[in-house]
Amino acid sequence: MKKAIIGITAAVIWLVCVIAFAVASADTKGSEHQFTVLAVKEDSVMNYNTMPVFQQLAEDTGIEVNWTYNTSAQYSNNIDPVGTKGIDAIYHSGFSNLKLYDYGRRGRIVAIDQYLDSMPNFSKILKDRPDIKQALISPDGHIYSLPRVEEMGLKSYPNILYLNKKWVEKLMDEGGLPALTEPLTKDDLKDGLVLYRKDFKAILQAFKDNSYIGDSNKVPLSFVNGNWQGNVSDLIASFGVPENRDHKTIVNGKVVFTIEDEKWFNAVKELQDWYSRGLIGSSAFSQTDNEFLARGQDGRYGAFYWWEKDTVLAKDIRDDYIIVEPLKDDDGKQYVGVSNELEIEKGECVILDACQDKKGLLSYFDKFFEPEYSAQLNYGSIKSGAFLSGKVNGKLVPNDDHGVQSADDFRMKNAPYGVVYLTAEVWEKSVEMESRAKLRLENLENYVKPFTFEGATPIPNLNYSQEDLITLNTYESSLANNIASWFTKAITGGAVPSEDSWKSLLDTNRASIDAVLQLNQKAYDSYVAAIAD
Amino acid sequence: MANEDISAALSAEDQDLIEKAYEALGGSAEGVAPSDVDFDMIENGGPDAPQKSKWQRWKENFKRRGWILVFILPALIYVIIFCYVPMYGILAAFQDYMPGDPIIGSETQWVGWDNFKTFFSNPNFPNYFVNTFLLCILGFIVGFPLPIIVALLLNSVRPKKVKKGLQILYYAPHFISLVVLVGMMKFMFGSDGLLDNLSKNLGGGGVDLFLKEGAFRPLFIFSGNWQDFGWSAIIYLAALSGVDPALHEAAKVDGASRFRRIFSVDLPAILPTIVMLMILSVGNLMSCGYEKVLLMQTDGNIEKSEILSTYVYNFGLIGGQYGLGTAAGLFNSVINVALLVIANFTSKKLSGNSMW
Repeated sequence: MKKAIIGITAAVIWLVCVIAFAVASADTKGSEHQFTVLAVKEDSVMNYNTMPVFQQLAEDTGIEVNWTYNTSAQYSNNIDPVGTKGIDAIYHSGFSNLKLYDYGRRGRIVAIDQYLDSMPNFSKILKDRPDIKQALISPDGHIYSLPRVEEMGLKSYPNILYLNKKWVEKLMDEGGLPALTEPLTKDDLKDGLVLYRKDFKAILQAFKDNSYIGDSNKVPLSFVNGNWQGNVSDLIASFGVPENRDHKTIVNGKVVFTIEDEKWFNAVKELQDWYSRGLIGSSAFSQTDNEFLARGQDGRYGAFYWWEKDTVLAKDIRDDYIIVEPLKDDDGKQYVGVSNELEIEKGECVILDACQDKKGLLSYFDKFFEPEYSAQLNYGSIKSGAFLSGKVNGKLVPNDDHGVQSADDFRMKNAPYGVVYLTAEVWEKSVEMESRAKLRLENLENYVKPFTFEGATPIPNLNYSQEDLITLNTYESSLANNIASWFTKAITGGAVPSEDSWKSLLDTNRASIDAVLQLNQKAYDSYVAAIAD
Repeated sequence: MANEDISAALSAEDQDLIEKAYEALGGSAEGVAPSDVDFDMIENGGPDAPQKSKWQRWKENFKRRGWILVFILPALIYVIIFCYVPMYGILAAFQDYMPGDPIIGSETQWVGWDNFKTFFSNPNFPNYFVNTFLLCILGFIVGFPLPIIVALLLNSVRPKKVKKGLQILYYAPHFISLVVLVGMMKFMFGSDGLLDNLSKNLGGGGVDLFLKEGAFRPLFIFSGNWQDFGWSAIIYLAALSGVDPALHEAAKVDGASRFRRIFSVDLPAILPTIVMLMILSVGNLMSCGYEKVLLMQTDGNIEKSEILSTYVYNFGLIGGQYGLGTAAGLFNSVINVALLVIANFTSKKLSGNSMW
């Protein structure tokens, strides 16, 4: 009996293996000459092959592209996507500078600058915009990827401070509002509220102390430490340092680390005090952005930093929160830093050396840079209702009404994103911005941008030699770890951070700080020189 | 079986040998079973025969019984194909390697020891090294004796049902996936977790153990042991089941208490198993998996939680510096092998038990 069972099992295993092998080998045959592009796409996004915008592209160019997909999880497990058999290009490749250069100089991905003749749009962009050209060039002078350019002027300021107006009103009603340097009335509680930092702290303290505000779940102030949006940088910047999440910025053409500033250390000391008083939720230092969003839905935050408030709050409580301008320092001045999030992203699309007709495929991708296509790639096809059917003043106008779907959900499902070219000029002439984006831009113009630290600019896409790139990689990541670790410990550690511990942070990392600054400065100087030419 | 029957079953050649042996031993064939005979010595013609060289003996042996080797052939092939052949990949540690490059070929870009230099010159390297070492050695000190103690105690439980029940209860957590385990820990010890809420409601400031770097190692080690002590105890229980009950009977007759019997009967019986497992775990001392460490890592504890394997993951796989990642991994393996050799040598000297 036993023997029979073993025999049957063995036979079944053999059979499965044989069938699997047969199926696998049958799969590889049958490739006609047609472009196949691997796109990194989540299952929830529509099939690109049936998207109206790609059908329109195929009609327009006469080039057929067959899209295949990896989800981002599959893609991150794919150690050698460039080696994938049977594909001609990777869309949303997400390659870093180093990876682009490493694949590029091996000739495994195509140097796109060799085919500029068949790319009228792209070559015009490179001619008109030396900064974009600079951003795309690899250490050997070649361009290995197609960029994504979306210039809305939003990314440099990824944080806005929101305050729970309802809670402040409750404090006023119950007499719990502490005496402030500048007294508040209910009429003041609207977007653009100006508060001294110490007053803001007093209000948070009152949120915390008064039980009629909420249960133990309430969080006076929340953010996501170290996240690209909704971090605590602006609070630190209010002390008079151009802080961002990299702690690194350019002031009047000079690359600086904010952590070297005494004011930065003062800010950390103050934050420690806020934290130990329970004004900052401990989750601020351990939560992911999704956890932050989930916690915020029921309105347990007294105040928070985020990109905008709609994603954080459930629909019915959105009006309870108002925008607070950057907090006033004790001397009455207001400051914000600028982030290093860039509006020019490289590595969006790479062409593989295996592609048989590189010119043809690149002329296809060149179309992506036309305003009408860029807009559709970024927001969804005209045919599927992402834009109103008729143009207004020669401009495409986005359709904000998607029925039960939220605008965000519609866009996530219908827009492939990726290679687009939407510059200030395009927004002016050919495409109307989404109302959400316009609103945010307006808010930034009114309440945030005017307080930008004088002379502070983001660090642009810089070019390094291969050697410098590797050195930078080593120093930057360990330095970033060390700063993040010190920062978190200093604030959450339970004791006021001593001047000595700050000095020792700087001293132990002196070599890294100097190396990074020197390499950055060198690259920035040559960037400035190249742009000026 | 009578000797006559056995003699009949043996070939003429063997019988010849046996006769010779008896003569050599100076005894008679009476009362000696074939299993008591030292065939090797007999084949060499007894102690007085001229000594054959080792090679000759081996050759003769192979001719007679070489076909038995066929049985280990599948295992040997398996090990070669799946363990030794892929090892050529470590050559990437000496290359500027990208996936798709030939490991040995004209396009291979050799860089010598550059990857190791980059790795050792990382300002945080000493920190990574110490972290890895401490995390693993502390885990070993706590985690190694625990299953032995549990197995000995379980073995002394008399009612069979209780024993089985406890055993299942102890090893059930082994089947929880890491992600779920860390999720559970976050619910208990993280922000807005059990401990945090308890402390807040009692008027404290709230605690998030995931932000305290001092709490990282205890959390990591105790959660790991909680999950695995029952599972690891199984192998000791198996060893204990092989203990001759007669020994226990005898000890009882001599008046040994139950506690005394654990030390004098059970423990010596499983000592070889313990030593063997100890050598094996020393060989793995520096290789803590990165998965759980990554899951538990926060900015608050990163100074204690960044270890060599997370470095390999972050730089090698995520950062795309495959050569550097391989170099770091190779360095780790070399230390492991060194530890294994030292442990084996020490154990051989001290207890006579060893792997080779």
